[in-house]
Amino acid sequence: MSLCLCGSCLFAILAFIPALLLGQTIPRTPEGRPNFTGVWAGPGFTHRVGPGDTDTPRVTTYDTAKMSPFKPGGDAFMNRPVTGDPIKDDPTAGCLPNGLTRQILSPYAQQWIQTPSQIVVLYEYMHFFRVIPTDGHPHPKDVEQTWMGDSLGKWEGDTLVIDTIGLKEWMMDATHDSKPDQLRIHSDQIHVIERLRYIDPTTVSYQVTIDDPKIFTAPWSQDFEMKLHPTWKILEFVCEENNRCIFGKCAESDVQKTSRE
Amino acid sequence: MKTISFVLGAVFLCAVAAFSHHSFSAEYDATKPVSVTGVVKKVEWQNPHIWFYVEVKDENGKVTTWGFSGGPPGMLARRGITKDVLKVGDVIKVEGFRAKDGSNNGSGGNVTFADGRRVFAGSAEDVVPRN
Repeated sequence: MSLCLCGSCLFAILAFIPALLLGQTIPRTPEGRPNFTGVWAGPGFTHRVGPGDTDTPRVTTYDTAKMSPFKPGGDAFMNRPVTGDPIKDDPTAGCLPNGLTRQILSPYAQQWIQTPSQIVVLYEYMHFFRVIPTDGHPHPKDVEQTWMGDSLGKWEGDTLVIDTIGLKEWMMDATHDSKPDQLRIHSDQIHVIERLRYIDPTTVSYQVTIDDPKIFTAPWSQDFEMKLHPTWKILEFVCEENNRCIFGKCAESDVQKTSRE
Repeated sequence: MKTISFVLGAVFLCAVAAFSHHSFSAEYDATKPVSVTGVVKKVEWQNPHIWFYVEVKDENGKVTTWGFSGGPPGMLARRGITKDVLKVGDVIKVEGFRAKDGSNNGSGGNVTFADGRRVFAGSAEDVVPRN
């Protein structure tokens, strides 16, 4: 019995020590909030940090097994056959935006800038950005539907909770690149909740909850991580610069012309 | 010109679900693998994806210049790969998938140098045909 009690005590102490250490070591703002300022590798990386602060991008999509059951018609709404028209099958082929849910998983760097009243996220991919107020004001009543939606942040202890509505019907993720016969589309009723919490001084637990009542019977969540990379900076990404196969039609380069002639 | 050989879809290669070109499925055909060996004529280390051009001579002496798309410069940089990795005049073997429009272009996820060194291969962002 005493051994059992001792074991329980030891377990409790061991469980508490990392939390104590964590409280001392995670980056915090002068106000005492966890500080997410920095350049991050988001869920679209392996987070295996190599020499020179490298990280490996990876294809990341939402796991079908973690999704809630479909409502009647939800499956057909979300999983659509490809049409053969690149503009419909993947608008990013013409440098149109990938949209919030796909951007979250994008294998590019992102820079977070945190102030006491807002958080700004600069995504390298497509040069997109989000301005996320954390001052407690509500979503607008008539929110305009956009690719990145209207995001608000709030704190639940040390967890940052970002609530987004106002998204266009658009690509859920890049499933079509690994399953070329299938597109995955979310509706314009989608509600996205991101929950971010430090689990060590350079790693953040990043949970994404998708509530799309047009497609699913209930919200569902999937857990990812972000890794802080102190030496990184976000780089230019200009999709139009040399997009040689825009909408599936490849432009001939000068060396190809010379070779042909 | 020391261009070597040309093999196009002669070997059955299975497409691996490892595409993250920002619009791979719209631009390339995962059922049409391509493998060529030749001399690098030009490298465009630009967004949204690098391109490199390989001059290839077939067994009848006909010369074709193939264009291949690789990873985005930033994504490659995250893995420590810089633009010095490919130089004009290098002899390389490229394995990838053909462009859907049937032109002499493709995605080129696997690049192997004459001395056996490989670049771009084995990571998720590369479009890599595997046996």
